[in-house]
Amino acid sequence: MIGPIISSGIISPAWDNLFAVILGMGFGFALESSGFSSSRKIIGTFFGYDFVVVKVFFTAAIVASLGLLYLSYLGLVDFSLLYIQPTFLASAIVGGVIMGIGFAMGGFCPGTSLCAAAVGRIDGLVFFGGMFIGVFLFSEAFPLFENMYYSGSLGAKMINSVFGISPELFTFILVLAAVGMFIGATWIQKKVKKVEY
Amino acid sequence: MERKNTILAILLIVLALGLVILPKNNGHKEIDPKVLLNGVVERSRYLSVDLVTHRIIENDPTLMLIDLRPADQFKTFALPGAINLHPDSLLTQSGTDLLGQPGKDKVLYGNSDLISEKAWLVCSRYSVNRLYIMKGGMNEWFDTIIKVKPATGTPSTTDLDLISFRNAARQFFVGSGETTNTVIAPVQKEKVPVIRKAPSTSAGGGC
Repeated sequence: MIGPIISSGIISPAWDNLFAVILGMGFGFALESSGFSSSRKIIGTFFGYDFVVVKVFFTAAIVASLGLLYLSYLGLVDFSLLYIQPTFLASAIVGGVIMGIGFAMGGFCPGTSLCAAAVGRIDGLVFFGGMFIGVFLFSEAFPLFENMYYSGSLGAKMINSVFGISPELFTFILVLAAVGMFIGATWIQKKVKKVEY
Repeated sequence: MERKNTILAILLIVLALGLVILPKNNGHKEIDPKVLLNGVVERSRYLSVDLVTHRIIENDPTLMLIDLRPADQFKTFALPGAINLHPDSLLTQSGTDLLGQPGKDKVLYGNSDLISEKAWLVCSRYSVNRLYIMKGGMNEWFDTIIKVKPATGTPSTTDLDLISFRNAARQFFVGSGETTNTVIAPVQKEKVPVIRKAPSTSAGGGC
């Protein structure tokens, strides 16, 4: 068992930040090379003329799931050492709605707005500034939202355990759904009038 | 879809199907005896009752309490959110599913440390990670949190803070205990005399 390399003590946790910077740069490079610094490209998902966002993120999810499960099967990664973000149901739903509205209105999510700001796009810079104002206001008003923020705590919940199926079967269903979505998105894209940007 | 995308989609489906049909690795993997011995010598597996209590009150989602006492004792009283697991069931399918949950700190407790130590050793031998023991078990928890001892001598600020926390924790688990015995006297309706104000001036004659 060699992974996760930090949690299992192979590499000191002091290297956390260095890995974060390297992985962050890689993530930023992947976003930029997929064209995610353009708000028109991202907003294309909502208008049906460009589904690259959904395709990229779905591909990332299924490749990561398959990779982790195969590494675990081969005894190279210890699943129990992975950190799983705890689920807070109410705040996840409210946060998801707010993020969705912001995504559709601004044409960016937090990560892609940083990419856009980094390449000097004005809309990206404005979105990035707005995001910080939002973060500041939320932090100042946190006592008002605290109860809602921590409500619906489900702990480190895995979606396959909610449905009572194995992670392997869930990943198989997810891959089928992703492939179905790729075909559907390509079909819709052909039907919708092309937008030049 | 383009030809290359079709090939990639087929490859992903085949890989995912492979996961479903591959035989499962159900065999318990034993850890290296040296690593196990190091774990036994180290005392990092112990969590104090104060720390566990603090995490319960904070509703820590990564905390998983495993009560190893008999079911009748568990029904009488158990720590909030604890799961009752008989020590004989630790290595059964349900036990390993429970202990193998990722992202959780599994904290074992019994009435004392005896059962918890044995359970810790068995589970650690079979590579269960993030496994801890609540030091002293339920007896220690009850003596520390419910029967809070007053400070003796000249306590330091840290000691006073700890006693204050334990008092607050006791109220969290059993309530303040002050409302049940308090007799509330019936409130008699007080008669309020009505003072009618006399007209300040009599109406004068009109012009």
